[in-house]
Amino acid sequence: MTKIWGKRVFSSSLLDSRFLFLAATVVGVLLTLSIFAFMVMLGLPLFSVHSLTLLLTQAWAPDQGLYGVFPFICGTCAIVSLSLLIAFPLSLGNAILIHLLAPRRLARFLHQVVKMMTGVPTVIYGFVGIFFLVPLVREWFSRGSGMCILSAALLLALLISPTMILVFLESFSAIPATHLRALEALGGTRRQKLLHVILPGARTGIITGLLLALGRALGDTMIALMVAGNATAQPESLLDSVRTLTAHIALVMAADFDSIEFKTIFACGIILYLWTAVLTLSLRCLHFNYAKSSHDQSL
Amino acid sequence: MDSARSRLQVDRNHRKTVGEVFVENPRLTCRDIDVFYGEKQAIKNVSLDIAGNEVIAMIGPSGCGKSTFLRCLNRMNDTIDSCRVSGNIVLDDEDINQPGVDVVLLRAKVGMVFQKPNPFPKSIRENVAYGPRIHGLAADRNQLDEIVESSLQKAGLWDEVKDRLDDSGTSLSGGQQQRLCIARSIAVSPEVILMDEPCSALDPIATAKIEGLIDELRENFTIIIVTHSMQQASRVSQRTAFFHLGDLIEVGSTRQLFTNPKHQLTEDYITGRFG
Repeated sequence: MTKIWGKRVFSSSLLDSRFLFLAATVVGVLLTLSIFAFMVMLGLPLFSVHSLTLLLTQAWAPDQGLYGVFPFICGTCAIVSLSLLIAFPLSLGNAILIHLLAPRRLARFLHQVVKMMTGVPTVIYGFVGIFFLVPLVREWFSRGSGMCILSAALLLALLISPTMILVFLESFSAIPATHLRALEALGGTRRQKLLHVILPGARTGIITGLLLALGRALGDTMIALMVAGNATAQPESLLDSVRTLTAHIALVMAADFDSIEFKTIFACGIILYLWTAVLTLSLRCLHFNYAKSSHDQSL
Repeated sequence: MDSARSRLQVDRNHRKTVGEVFVENPRLTCRDIDVFYGEKQAIKNVSLDIAGNEVIAMIGPSGCGKSTFLRCLNRMNDTIDSCRVSGNIVLDDEDINQPGVDVVLLRAKVGMVFQKPNPFPKSIRENVAYGPRIHGLAADRNQLDEIVESSLQKAGLWDEVKDRLDDSGTSLSGGQQQRLCIARSIAVSPEVILMDEPCSALDPIATAKIEGLIDELRENFTIIIVTHSMQQASRVSQRTAFFHLGDLIEVGSTRQLFTNPKHQLTEDYITGRFG
């Protein structure tokens, strides 16, 4: 009797937990989708007046009736890609240093520093940027205000690196020790260990770190707002001030709710949303295909 | 050349190990090996000669230091931070326990097979070709293919895998994987092969195959095998060394050691009174 009862309790609690997990998943997916739907709905009035193509390609000049966010797309694109270009090799090198090359004590110290850096609030980075980096850039290039793509990208690189380094380190330490031992016993050097075992084995982790960093860079608002200069003009060089999509949303938020300016933030939101989704999906696909086709590239 | 070896002669008088520690024309000469893990001494003043083309088995209860001793011979203990090894280990007239020794070259001369088969997640061909490739042993693709074929043949695996060299090494069975690892280590033509309980993860049939293989490999290589199984030691080896708590208690011909041990501890161990 008790046994049957016990069994029932067991199976029903299993069933319950399955429902719980399913419910959590459904809620998560629905929330993500509904955010998108919400943005489209609120953006519709704008799209009915101004075509999406125009919004995506025109300049921003509300006084002339132009509500395009093209300069902001360019600004975002420039800052994000430049910061990734700077941060990715640095982070990979840093992770390799901590994992493989540095003496144990130094490695532990660096690891702690990196962990600490992830906890620094973005606005602090912004502060340091304004009072330290911006004047430096202004002095070096003796052009413009120093609030520009370059400053923002440098600072953003600093912001996204710790996350990348930690994800890389995590994936490095997940490499099976037996493979490393096998390589050592064959007389492999440290370099061969890195190139032939660690990096290929950590491929998935490296892609994941890159995606996380990309998401953080795309979504970051504070640094762009504080350091990039917020100019609405089309940027032409790395030393030009720009406004990113996220900064635009934050800045226009204060405008009149019924104005067209205000409604453009939904366009920006949709663009950011799709941008992240498409980049993430395509990188994942790329990696999946690569992993499938090359389980066996030469060592 | 003989400074290293003559220095070793001095220690001949000092012996606490029972049995035939020294042999004529040794391939490997180990003298006064001490190994410390931090404060803890894992090997205590062990001296041992290993002849060419012999299979010598290291037996003893868990934690007796037999694997630690094995890892001294290809400097694998270097990878453990707290580990210090002192003493002389001479291979080809070179003391391989000196700081200046190129461990890359040493490990090409002293191969190693591990407890659990550990093929790389690469094709069978690439697993075997990897060693020759990083040591630059093949001039071209054809030569590399020859090395792969002959190594797999020596490891008794060729007939089973010749039609699927491009399959992943991890798709093989456990016993095949271990023979692949043996092929991988003999592909760089080592002189000595260290085996650290190579059959402990395998079933009896795969074990029998590996044991047969060890006997064949003796023609070309010196093999030092650590094993938990006394039956295995008696089946594959010519000499056996018995370790206990970091001491090398007794060394002798396998037949003698198992039928007529000279030391009480050895007798207690092989008759199953402890272990």
